[in-house]
Amino acid sequence: MTITVDEQRRAFEQEALPHLDTLYRVALRLTSDPSRAEDLVQDAMLKALRSWEQYQPGTNLRAWLLTILRNTFINDYRREKARGPTVDLADAETFRLFDEVGDRDPEGRFFDQIVDDEVLRAIDQLPEEFRETLVLSDVEGLPYQEISTITKVPVGTVKSRLFRARRALQSKLYDYAVEMGYIKKNPE
Amino acid sequence: MKKHEGLNCDDCVEHLYTYLDGELTGETESDVRVHIEGCGDCFGHFEFERTFLRFLEARAKAQCAPEPLRRRIFKEVLLDNGSEAE
Repeated sequence: MTITVDEQRRAFEQEALPHLDTLYRVALRLTSDPSRAEDLVQDAMLKALRSWEQYQPGTNLRAWLLTILRNTFINDYRREKARGPTVDLADAETFRLFDEVGDRDPEGRFFDQIVDDEVLRAIDQLPEEFRETLVLSDVEGLPYQEISTITKVPVGTVKSRLFRARRALQSKLYDYAVEMGYIKKNPE
Repeated sequence: MKKHEGLNCDDCVEHLYTYLDGELTGETESDVRVHIEGCGDCFGHFEFERTFLRFLEARAKAQCAPEPLRRRIFKEVLLDNGSEAE
């Protein structure tokens, strides 16, 4: 029972292409560069199509595609020291946004004033392994187990990376909101 | 008969993200749920964090794959790859 190239292509088009938005967003956060992100997605898609017979129908296609994307990034796209300063996660570890603003803004209304670009910029300043975990979880909604498979670390590591990444992001966005005057600094 | 009398606030907050991520199961999940339902402070804290996570998703998920990329995938991956393989 061999499948023809046409059938393979059709299956790929129907099943893999719906994940294009996810692949692009993850690629964009990994490369921080729209044109490199597009090249990365194209390379990953080409690899996926060429090894399509290795994909087991009925298993998790999204995780399979993201694994190919990630491996392609690590092998061909990762550049040392290509990005700006990263956030110091140790500093942010003890920060809890709720402690700073929970009394004054329990519904988090000031979030409404923070624009997309600022959030993306804050995400891009996280160290790579934290950024990647946060994007897979909080943007793409993948469960811990799937992230663990893709990033090849235990579920416990996924959890702790997520925790630290969220804290760091809260700290970063709080500083930004204070600077912009969206919210006043906690007098203490 | 319950083995223990639920969680205190510190224990509860320790499970905050795993709970919000829908990754808690069984007794721990129900302990946290029961605690939040009866504790205004923890309820407020959990709701705040839930709002934060929703905000994050909404802001970072606005981008989609650009149309030119879609066309490139069609042309260079789906069409050209086939001819190369033949």
